[in-house]
Amino acid sequence: MPRIDAHLHVFTKASAEFPREISDVWPAEREEPVEKLLGEMEKHQIDQAVLVQMAGTSIEQHRYLLRCLKEYPNRFLGIGLIPDGHPNPTEHMAQLTDDTGIIGFRLSTFGGPRDIFAKMDVREFAAYPIWKYAAERDYVLWLYPNAINAHLLPYLVQEFPQVRIVLNHLAVCPGKGKFSWDELGRPQIQVTGYNLTMHTTYRLARFENVNVHLSGQYAFSTEEFPYKDLAGWHRGLLSGFGSKRLMWATDFPWILENPGYGKLTTVIEELLPDLSDAELADIMGRNAKRILRFPDL
Amino acid sequence: MILPTPKEKNQWEEEGYLVFENAIQGEDLKRLQTTFDYWADECKAEWLDRVEAGEAVATFYDIPNPLEKDPIFIDIIDYPSYYGALMEFTNHDLILLGPQVRTVAPWPVSYTGWHPDVGYDNPLHIKVQIYVNDVEPGGGEFGFVPGSHKPDSGPYARPMRQESMTGHKTFPGTAGTAIMFNSCGWHVSMDNHSDIPRKSIILIYEKRTPGRIGPGQYASISEYCQTPERRKLFSLDG
Repeated sequence: MPRIDAHLHVFTKASAEFPREISDVWPAEREEPVEKLLGEMEKHQIDQAVLVQMAGTSIEQHRYLLRCLKEYPNRFLGIGLIPDGHPNPTEHMAQLTDDTGIIGFRLSTFGGPRDIFAKMDVREFAAYPIWKYAAERDYVLWLYPNAINAHLLPYLVQEFPQVRIVLNHLAVCPGKGKFSWDELGRPQIQVTGYNLTMHTTYRLARFENVNVHLSGQYAFSTEEFPYKDLAGWHRGLLSGFGSKRLMWATDFPWILENPGYGKLTTVIEELLPDLSDAELADIMGRNAKRILRFPDL
Repeated sequence: MILPTPKEKNQWEEEGYLVFENAIQGEDLKRLQTTFDYWADECKAEWLDRVEAGEAVATFYDIPNPLEKDPIFIDIIDYPSYYGALMEFTNHDLILLGPQVRTVAPWPVSYTGWHPDVGYDNPLHIKVQIYVNDVEPGGGEFGFVPGSHKPDSGPYARPMRQESMTGHKTFPGTAGTAIMFNSCGWHVSMDNHSDIPRKSIILIYEKRTPGRIGPGQYASISEYCQTPERRKLFSLDG
């Protein structure tokens, strides 16, 4: 049974060879390299993982991700980024997926009307060409929608039922101005006590091509590990999507210090203690292998 | 006060719901529609900003504090066409928990799935949904599973699609229709495949239990609650 970490990030020091954006959290000299990840995976019996691009959307800024995928083709699959407002996004997508191990792209906006009451013509959404190309090329779309974009999703999902979709981090749609970094360098998303996504992204469960990450708990919870205040959210997703469409992930490296990679390998058992062994195995890797088509080891 | 007929009482007990066609009509309905539209329009921009900030649901919105906005929203709380039934079913010991003056957008999927609101051990919990505009079949109409309010019914599973719920009934209706239901029963808003938003008001009541609603909850509208009956309904005397 493969155990697959379905969403995380690696990066190296900023350099001419591996250019990337820098920030207070990932300054030029910081690195969280793939070798460090492999060490954690080895220690905690995790077989494979999805590497998600960060710190830059240009082709050049994907170089480190591409190198990792090339070096460990059986261990990793990749998710790329597309620059906002790119004049030819499909060309960018094609360049990054030419037998590279990148299987799809991460999006947070769809470019449709802000107002759900407006007339919706999905072909006029700015992201329509990206979705269309993903459908033609069998890419995965990795979605972390901004709150004001959540209502646009079902129109795209309906239009492209063949596209495999993975909603990131408990299908939460972060609000504008609600993102910050904590003192441990971890993303923090301020959410309401009442789970608003019950009325948006959770409602996409009826579409069989929509899957959800059980991850990012540290960013939404007001408690320490195992984030028991989010147990209801996990039960809701299990009830709606079933155990065959959920994927566990750690969001490495943000979690290395607190709670630690090892603890996060047990978070699903902690929050969904009534899962059968088979259901747990599905969430911990079998679903990712099937849906994302990881190679056999 | 119009009390329910024996037939209506029997349907309430057995099925868990009653439909009051033309419960609100004529000038009252026109006034309700005009007031609803005015305040929905007034409040929409702020709601959208709250959606963007991740503070409000994106798929529907409620007019905030409607009782303070216009007395018509108070008058419908004890409107004669259904108030008698509410009083009868709660042994004349009724309190208001709150109103939801709600506009639901057309959307490929309904904003909610099948659910009961409360468990069987909850004091009798009743909702009255009033259509402010005509709600056609496939227009986000109310759905209910008759009999599901009974503790010995079910068990019920949440289907992926609204129309797949076993034994359900849907309630399209004209503006002014009121649907009263026991909130222990499984209910839903059906998908709205039309291009018309569903405008409705959901009034939430319960059989009184001490301290359930504090006297300050509706103090701001006390000037409209001069009779002992209204003061009791709005828990103004504790």
